[in-house]
Amino acid sequence: MSASAPPLPSPQFDTRVQTIQSGNTILLRLPNGDTKAFKIDKDSTTSLGRLGLFYANDLINEPFGRTYDIVDKNLKIVPPLTLAEVEDTDATNELINDGEFVQPLTLEEIQALKQSGAHASEIIKMQIEQHANYSLKTEYSKEKYKKRKEAKYSKTFTTIEPTLFNVCDYWFKKDQSRIRDIRVDALSQMLNMANIRPGGRYIAVDDASGLVVSGILERMGGVGRLITVCDTDSPPSYPVMVHMNFKHETVAPVLSSLNWATAQADYIPISAPVDVPTEEIKSDRQQSRINKRRAASDLLHRTREELFAGEFDALIIASEYEPLSIVEKLVPYVAGSGSIVVQSPYVQILSDLHNKLRALPGYLCPSVTEVWLRRYQVLPGRTHPTMSTSGSGGFIFHAIKTYVQLV
Amino acid sequence: MWSTAREIAAGDTVIIWLTRDVIQPLVVTPGKDFNSKFGNYRHSDFIGMPFGSKVGSRSGKGFIHILRPTPELWTMALPHRTQILYIADISFITSYLDIRRGSRVIEAGTGSGSFSHSIARSIGPSGHLWSYEFHEVRAQKAREEFAQHGMSDIVTLAHQNVCKDGFNLTDAADSVFLDLPAPWDAVEHAKQALRKDRTTRICCFSPCMEQVLRTVSALNEAGFSDITMYETLVRSHDVAQVPVLQSVSEIGDKLKKAEEIREIKRLRQIAAGQRSRENPHGEKRKRDDAMEVEVLPTVTEAEDSGSGKRLKTDDEMTDATLSRITHDGDVSRSLDGATRTPHTGPNHSGLPAKISVSKAAAEVRGHTSYLTFATLLPPIPTAPLEDAPTEGRPSSFKCTQETDRRLLLGLGMT
Repeated sequence: MSASAPPLPSPQFDTRVQTIQSGNTILLRLPNGDTKAFKIDKDSTTSLGRLGLFYANDLINEPFGRTYDIVDKNLKIVPPLTLAEVEDTDATNELINDGEFVQPLTLEEIQALKQSGAHASEIIKMQIEQHANYSLKTEYSKEKYKKRKEAKYSKTFTTIEPTLFNVCDYWFKKDQSRIRDIRVDALSQMLNMANIRPGGRYIAVDDASGLVVSGILERMGGVGRLITVCDTDSPPSYPVMVHMNFKHETVAPVLSSLNWATAQADYIPISAPVDVPTEEIKSDRQQSRINKRRAASDLLHRTREELFAGEFDALIIASEYEPLSIVEKLVPYVAGSGSIVVQSPYVQILSDLHNKLRALPGYLCPSVTEVWLRRYQVLPGRTHPTMSTSGSGGFIFHAIKTYVQLV
Repeated sequence: MWSTAREIAAGDTVIIWLTRDVIQPLVVTPGKDFNSKFGNYRHSDFIGMPFGSKVGSRSGKGFIHILRPTPELWTMALPHRTQILYIADISFITSYLDIRRGSRVIEAGTGSGSFSHSIARSIGPSGHLWSYEFHEVRAQKAREEFAQHGMSDIVTLAHQNVCKDGFNLTDAADSVFLDLPAPWDAVEHAKQALRKDRTTRICCFSPCMEQVLRTVSALNEAGFSDITMYETLVRSHDVAQVPVLQSVSEIGDKLKKAEEIREIKRLRQIAAGQRSRENPHGEKRKRDDAMEVEVLPTVTEAEDSGSGKRLKTDDEMTDATLSRITHDGDVSRSLDGATRTPHTGPNHSGLPAKISVSKAAAEVRGHTSYLTFATLLPPIPTAPLEDAPTEGRPSSFKCTQETDRRLLLGLGMT
């Protein structure tokens, strides 16, 4: 028996663009291994600092993941890096001493080479030729040397597809405190624990720059409902979403936001009237202002009604505020058997929550877990865990909402 | 997939939660009974209850929870036919492989279906999962399970050895997951099955490092790039509440008190000795008892006037102990029953402050498998792109010479 391809639903829904478009903020991996975000605008040049400028149009409509060399502001596609076997030799560092004058190529000479337009590979080759101890090095050490030099002189970069994994990884390395230490393994577990799926209905509290909201929206794929509760007067800014490059259809039909005042059942909005008699409207501008106000007020009303109607599939929290106060406010709107997921960089906060909820009915199997992740360097003959790694990716509390129903 | 209704209906698959370690699936069938050591229940009684209900047994002894199935609960409850994948690996792979609504995914082998259920949930009805299992009985069981769980439209299951026969798919999938003893034999087949019009990804799941190394070579030779490897685990924590830890000052005070009592006893013995020398005949015991009542307060008073502060602390300690016994009645629960004075925390009622503590569970899963990932990029155009926006200047697209790149990366290496 064999598998056959069923008629595929077409077109395939994509939460974000599949190729680079003007206006995107995309992640680029630079020769030194760093990843940085750059905005790509049609008919402009993008500056990569030391690497120089290039015409942004060269990236537009390109798929993500390709590697380019900057040559006179133009981009040349280069094949992806392949793993090279390194020959084992008998060389050791027995005769190599630190601090010796080994590199006769002076800074001035290198500058001159660069200005003459020499390719990075030529500069490196020249450095190697003049390096006093190069031949003494082991093949592994030679590799490392070349890699280090390449990071210095190469004008090559790689575009990074804005998958949830890549964006989370970028933010974690850039500023993990702004995403509340949510490492990608923790984010992945939170999304699975909360049973995020297309068509689900969720409540989220995201004080992690919108990383959690981005993850939920990505997994929902434009269907379902997500209500977030934030601590600001105006709609929340979720800066992580900028790097996801979501399509409008991924976000607009799904996401609505309330704040800690408007999410209260007894809240009464203090706002200017929207039902102005027509004879009092003096200008088009006033009319459009009233229309806008009415739309905002209607949206707020609808979102509140929707929250209070409850039966949400899960509650996901990554917040700087006291977790029990959030859980007590929002759990009434979670359906029976729904998941409650709370993330914190600190285990103490979650163990405290655990102890408090354990004493209350309606929370089945509360648990606190820690995430653990280890990346490896995978090179022929040189495979080992990376030497430095992140110490903590945060902690996760999970419980299932239940009803006491005795028959 | 499973029911999304609020209430349980006949024919629904539910998860019966007995304890943390005893979780089992059940198809609600009117007329049937569910019997366990936590009591007896009629399936028909479950119908109409909301999912998530805690239900007492008919005899009134014992209770169970009836939950809505999720892939995560299914992983905990499913009948094991093989070693299965757990949430840490499944969720991490889902993220790395960029699996989301509408994704087209290949999985080999199906095993016990733990991964399959999670992926089917994540891709939804607009996605597709091709699942391959070379063991006939396991394939049949999985097929029945998928049908029972309403996944037949999302999952195509094939009884097939993909290492030998491939996937029968070309340019179809967004990602491939290989949980096979020899994934390197399926790498070329996987490449064929992956689509070439966008970036696609593969994950190979192997418990041994030797397997990883062979897989990495195969992926490299097949033209995959960005080869990397991860290990991920969940560490569960045991959470408890303990009274605020005792200060050593208290212990010091206690030791001083003990020393004082010892001194009193010594003095008393000396006094008793003197008395027995003075009065060697009879009435020793009786007088001794009287002495105790007499001498002890005297000495204590003397001490009190000398260093009253110490004893005052001691009195306070006793008060705190008493008040705890009166208000809490829970002294036996403190870890070692020692006298404690509250120092921190909300303590308006005189209750001893407690602190929340947690530590990693004594026994945790130390290794599941290595996750080897790689990326397959769309082929590089060899001719200048037609549609590249090139107004005002010639297109810059031109693949640099392979040798150029080699030079850059490998410089003189063979």
